[in-house]
Amino acid sequence: MAIDPVKFDALFRKAEEQQAPCIIRAVEVEKVYRMGNEEVRALQGATVDIYKGEYLSIMGPSGSGKTTLFNMIGGLGKPTSGKVYIDQVDIAQLDYNELAWLRCRKVGYIFQTYNLIQVMTCLENVTLPMAFAGMDAEDARDKAIAILQLVGLGERILHKPGELSGGQQQRCAIARALANSPDIILADEPTANLDTHTGEEIIELMSRLKEELGVTIVSATHDLKMLKRSDRILWIEDGRIVRMAHPSEIDFSVGDFD
Amino acid sequence: MEAIKEQVRLPFSVAFEVVMQGIRIRFGRSLVTATGVVLGIAFLMSILSGQVIRQGVSHEAQVRTETKRMLSFLTAEMGPPKDQVIGVIQIGPLNETETRLVRTLKDRGAKAINWAAASGQAAAPPEVARLVTTTSVDKVAAGAAGLLIMGQGNLPQLDWPALLASSEQATVGATQKQAATEVAPGVPLVSLARELKPEEVEAQALEQKRTAFRNLWMTIISLVVTFICISNSLLMSVTERFKEIGTMKCLGALSSFVRKLFLIESSLIGLVGAVAGAIVGLAFAIIGYGLTFGFPLVLSSLRLGTIMFYFLPCLAAGVGLSVMAALYPASFAARMVPGTALRTNI
Repeated sequence: MAIDPVKFDALFRKAEEQQAPCIIRAVEVEKVYRMGNEEVRALQGATVDIYKGEYLSIMGPSGSGKTTLFNMIGGLGKPTSGKVYIDQVDIAQLDYNELAWLRCRKVGYIFQTYNLIQVMTCLENVTLPMAFAGMDAEDARDKAIAILQLVGLGERILHKPGELSGGQQQRCAIARALANSPDIILADEPTANLDTHTGEEIIELMSRLKEELGVTIVSATHDLKMLKRSDRILWIEDGRIVRMAHPSEIDFSVGDFD
Repeated sequence: MEAIKEQVRLPFSVAFEVVMQGIRIRFGRSLVTATGVVLGIAFLMSILSGQVIRQGVSHEAQVRTETKRMLSFLTAEMGPPKDQVIGVIQIGPLNETETRLVRTLKDRGAKAINWAAASGQAAAPPEVARLVTTTSVDKVAAGAAGLLIMGQGNLPQLDWPALLASSEQATVGATQKQAATEVAPGVPLVSLARELKPEEVEAQALEQKRTAFRNLWMTIISLVVTFICISNSLLMSVTERFKEIGTMKCLGALSSFVRKLFLIESSLIGLVGAVAGAIVGLAFAIIGYGLTFGFPLVLSSLRLGTIMFYFLPCLAAGVGLSVMAALYPASFAARMVPGTALRTNI
């Protein structure tokens, strides 16, 4: 895949000198969970800038704070200390109402387990976030059909998730994430529950969306193929970001990437 | 950059549509949840209506025994009522036993029952009006085998010898307690009413107190059972959907919308379950007590008003408990950080 030279250079520059606008900025984010009497420090000062239109993969062993970081930068949780800016807005300053607005329009979420609403058809799953955004039902329907065709589910818009294969369900989930034309797509191990071939199709679809729609994709993953497709890879360990690299710097054959 | 705005508040109609669709598709699961409500309310209703039935049955049995006793007293004095004319002077409001006695006399083949009110030309009460011939006091005893004084009141000053002269037999009975022992020289006033002995009155009062306490106790226990039954099934149906709530929150749903969804859903399930439960509970009580005491007795002792009076609290309990049991976990899940709700596994 051809890399935009400007973007490639940007990888080796400090954030302050960055040319591409920074869409998510996490500064010294700490997150402490309380489990009974024990404190679990899931994140211990993670700082990361994510630029508009890039494809960032987050790597790390289980329990390393991957999902927590993912939740923090997606506005799904509030950090114990530190700041998270989405589109230059400090999300700690937002009330529940504005957070709902942000989750509805700025960010699209894709989950490992798809998390489609089982009782709704594909079409209704995709129109649901549009309904939350207050869109007119007919406009929403038209837009949802267009998006479902874009992700290759045009033939199955009236099927329920239970009647679809895993890959098709994930396509539907991607369509749902795109419903309100968000700037950012957060994907938490989107291919983990899929077989290799289907996973590849999903990766293919996501990088196509990145190219065509210019959305920023942040994805937590273990999938080699996803790593190879991404613009940057970020390693997280024990709640700290330990390494940041471009796929071309990594030798995927020796397995030092995990 | 687009400025952050307030999220749109969706109207009830949208929530209602989502709920109806959910119930339609999850019909089997909704049915199971509703069954929990049905069971709880059926139990409550069967206990409540059982109390009504038991009370009615014992009242009815008392009236029947009393009527039978009066009839046998009367038969001893004037012979069987078949083909006889009986005069009745009403001196006050009738009790149930008295109206029953009139009906029984007619059933036993009395030729006619002459009816007169002591205070002039008042008509016979509606319960017996169909069975009697209304006339005036001076004609009431004409050709009568017996004269009955009915109703609660004081024995009026009447020209007894003249009255009794026109009758076939000089038998005068009072169905309620009267002071006089003789209405005319040589004509005793036969008291058909049985006077309770003090120890009987005491025993009755004690029994009443015991029954009241037992009823209260049973009602409390059945309320507890109903509470557990309903809250358990509703809690379960909501907690297994924590993930769905988390997903909706991720898609931009407001907590108030989630609460709306579960408010509508639980009140619908509660209402349907409570109506079905109240009917099932009533049917169970009728069948159960019918098999014990006999269906005619149970059905004749059922008071529709009282049953209806219990129907409403049952509906209120069904809907109220369902909404409470669903809304609490739903708003708990809605307040949760969406990420946490998503990872909840039941």
